[in-house]
Amino acid sequence: MSLMNAAYLAQTGYPELMAAPTLAHYLLVSALMFGIGLIGFLTRRNLIIMFLCTELMFQAAGIALVAFGRYHLDFTGQTFVIFVLTVAAAEAAMALALVVLLFRSKESLDAQEWTELKG
Amino acid sequence: MEQIINPYILYGLCAIGAVGVCLALPRRGRSPQIVGALLAALAGAGALAALALKNPTDLPNIYFYIFSAIGLGAALRVITHPRPVYAALYFVLTVIATGGLFLVLSAEFMALAMIIVYAGAILITYLFVIMLATQAPKEGEVETLTGYDTQAREPIAATVVGFVLVGVLTSLMFTSVQGEPPAPNLQLGAGERAAGAGLAVKRGGDHPDALLAEMPRRVERAVRDAEIMPEGHTFRRLEGGRLEIDPQARTVTVVDASGAARQLPLPDDLVVTNTERVGFNLLRDHPGAIEIAGVILLMAMLGAVVLSRKQVQIDEEAKLHQQQRLAGSSAGRTGGAA
Repeated sequence: MSLMNAAYLAQTGYPELMAAPTLAHYLLVSALMFGIGLIGFLTRRNLIIMFLCTELMFQAAGIALVAFGRYHLDFTGQTFVIFVLTVAAAEAAMALALVVLLFRSKESLDAQEWTELKG
Repeated sequence: MEQIINPYILYGLCAIGAVGVCLALPRRGRSPQIVGALLAALAGAGALAALALKNPTDLPNIYFYIFSAIGLGAALRVITHPRPVYAALYFVLTVIATGGLFLVLSAEFMALAMIIVYAGAILITYLFVIMLATQAPKEGEVETLTGYDTQAREPIAATVVGFVLVGVLTSLMFTSVQGEPPAPNLQLGAGERAAGAGLAVKRGGDHPDALLAEMPRRVERAVRDAEIMPEGHTFRRLEGGRLEIDPQARTVTVVDASGAARQLPLPDDLVVTNTERVGFNLLRDHPGAIEIAGVILLMAMLGAVVLSRKQVQIDEEAKLHQQQRLAGSSAGRTGGAA
């Protein structure tokens, strides 16, 4: 059996049902991307990159949602990604406005500068 | 219950990946970033290979492997690149690869919406903020990386936490996705319609092709293009201009001038597309969520405007502290360079 055989590497188009192991591939990629985003959020100290890592986690959630939607042949998964996009856009606008504000008062993007906030 | 991947292989791969990601994170001085990235890539490829070897008949498309390799590699680079601008650009690459994965999953609308909204709009905002919130180098000074970009915070603890989460998530997933695929809710397409659609109806859902009744113009156009309309016949209209469609038999009811009805088979290429299904799902099944999303976006816009209009006074103490810190860090930097 050759793994590179085209017959084995052909996930068929929409009407076909998707097998559970195929879904597992997408969930694995989604979990890895979520993990990378989480690690980035915890390790990076630049506020902008921390928010970029939350967007990475949104992407991972989106992959899982669309893959589950494909598996169940249900479109609510894709609809939900639209709302994920909405929340991501809103979050980006708010968070980046805050980042600009914080940068203007301390001239630094280091998250550790902000261990104490007053008021 | 049998696992899709042997859990010990999975945990071993998670450990290798954790070591790799930990090495790849930026830290002071020379760090073995390339070695770490290779280790992480090895772990990821190992996990995919284990999945593939265990289930050789249910592999995804070859494009899945290409896009996920690009996406995960770029994601790793987002968290390891010391320069924020490059991290943002690598994030664009991740978004495009995710769009590719969506295409493989036959979610064309979401793929393009993702690229337009994320890569086109959100990332541009990020790039603007990166430009606004970076100190320009003084004249004659070589631009240096700031300390908080080149040094990771708690790399070991964070990677351990991250990969424990990945291990738990994946082992749970691979235990629970055993078994036959569930009965589909919606089914479409020219050939394989009957089985899935029957299941959908049996489960209490609408027949997927019933959506065609909501799109009379599209049916009319398809019938006209296929030139199958019998002479002197018109569609029979229900209330609201809907057509009378029998989704099971894929026929539409037409009437001639005397009112005699007959069933006209629909053309085979008339199927409900992905975008139409997402549209119906969004607007018909989730109208309240759209209203809430609109309110969230409006509030975010107002909040961003209010926040960024606020005048910030740098207090004297913070300013002094700032100067000391800058002096200290630049001295440290030149010391490190020497």
